[in-house]
Amino acid sequence: MEDQEKGGLSQLWTLLFKKTWPLWLGGILLAFLNCLLFLVKSPWGGSGSYINWGQNLLNTLHIINFPAVKNIFAHHYGLLGFVTILGAFCGALMSKEFAVRIPPVGEMGKGIVGGILMGLGATLGIGCTIGGFLSGISALSGGSIVLTIGLLLGTYLALKYLLWEMEAMPGLSMGKSFTLLAAKENKGAWQPILGGIIFVSSLIIFAISYKENNVFTMFAIIGLIMGLILQRSRFCIVRAFREPFMTGESEAPVGVILSLFVTMIGFTVIKYMGVGTSTPGGARALAMVWVYPHFWLRALIGGFVFGLGMTIAGGCAVGAMWRTGEGQVKLWFAVLGFMLMSPISKKFIVPGFTNILPDWAKQKVFLPDYFGYFGSVLIIMLILLLWYIFVKWNEKTGKFSAV
Amino acid sequence: MDFDVTKTLDCKGLSCPMPILKLAKEMKSLKSEEVLELLGTDPGSKTDVPKWCTKTKNELLGSDEADGVYKFYIKKT
Repeated sequence: MEDQEKGGLSQLWTLLFKKTWPLWLGGILLAFLNCLLFLVKSPWGGSGSYINWGQNLLNTLHIINFPAVKNIFAHHYGLLGFVTILGAFCGALMSKEFAVRIPPVGEMGKGIVGGILMGLGATLGIGCTIGGFLSGISALSGGSIVLTIGLLLGTYLALKYLLWEMEAMPGLSMGKSFTLLAAKENKGAWQPILGGIIFVSSLIIFAISYKENNVFTMFAIIGLIMGLILQRSRFCIVRAFREPFMTGESEAPVGVILSLFVTMIGFTVIKYMGVGTSTPGGARALAMVWVYPHFWLRALIGGFVFGLGMTIAGGCAVGAMWRTGEGQVKLWFAVLGFMLMSPISKKFIVPGFTNILPDWAKQKVFLPDYFGYFGSVLIIMLILLLWYIFVKWNEKTGKFSAV
Repeated sequence: MDFDVTKTLDCKGLSCPMPILKLAKEMKSLKSEEVLELLGTDPGSKTDVPKWCTKTKNELLGSDEADGVYKFYIKKT
């Protein structure tokens, strides 16, 4: 049937759930929602969810006792991560893309190793590719720019490892795999129906159960929609860093550059104008939101380790969430590794690590303190432009691409 | 199908980027005009594989989807 012959709603359904959304569109929508999260409470981040989940899991299993840990539904980021997975699950169901995809054993091992490295990197560098990079650069944090360099180095090295692994240990990504619960071409209507029911009833449940606390209601609803957008647009930070060195394809880097640009404009307006009533402590406290004491060595080392992990796992903190919702079992293991490692690292490794580092290696740097708001935004725009020119030039020439 | 499949590459269960990395490696072993059948379950493959083919100037003869398995037929140029 041609699109024009269908009814309006049917066309809308096709647009939303039959085709993959352009990645740049996902990037812009996520940027808008990220600004809303900032206005409601604080910006989007991924690693905070894992720390909260991991602390809860380790407490429940009585392995390590973390005092005063909030339940995941009473912790803003524990909740945000959970609903992101749920939203992605709904998006995958509605587009008939959900299936439990069990990879060969070696891949599951890579998932857990990647997750452990991400947990280590996120806690060392204070933040992941979302909180530390996307939101962090938008928050005009100097440490986040260094984190980016670390992420890039880690990604590059881990890609080299993957290419080597295929030659030296091809067995790791071969072997028995299973695909369960996939939608059948003509009879698979249960997936869109179930997805729609879960999505709508989740919205209703969030609206009712958090009516005493508007911030939680907003986090739950925004997170659910973010999960859906992430899955439909396959928004992926790993690809943005990796693709220039792999296929040379520029869609993911361009989408992420655009997302970063829009988020930065939004955050800058919020900080400069002092918009929002959610941050206690006045204008300075608001300006310093998401500016962490990780400039510059702490961010570099953390970013490097995180970059290794996300590339081996095939998804960053948030990429692992939406792929988990879609049923990619390799990323289930990445989530498990991440949530086990991050609270352990935060409690036992990070304190010792930061003690060794000299003070100049772990500073809080807010770019506008040095260059003014206008200058800082201009500098980052220039970096984004250069990055854009590089990926486009490389796409054409393939100078840095491996395959 | 009006073409013969020379080789089948099973990427079922694998997540991004392994299918594309394996595809790139496998295509190197094929001779010109030979056809590779790629089996995968990552929904990302639906857009990644055609884009890779365009970029590397290999010809995507066709694709198919059944029970959650995506199939691609790629002719080496």
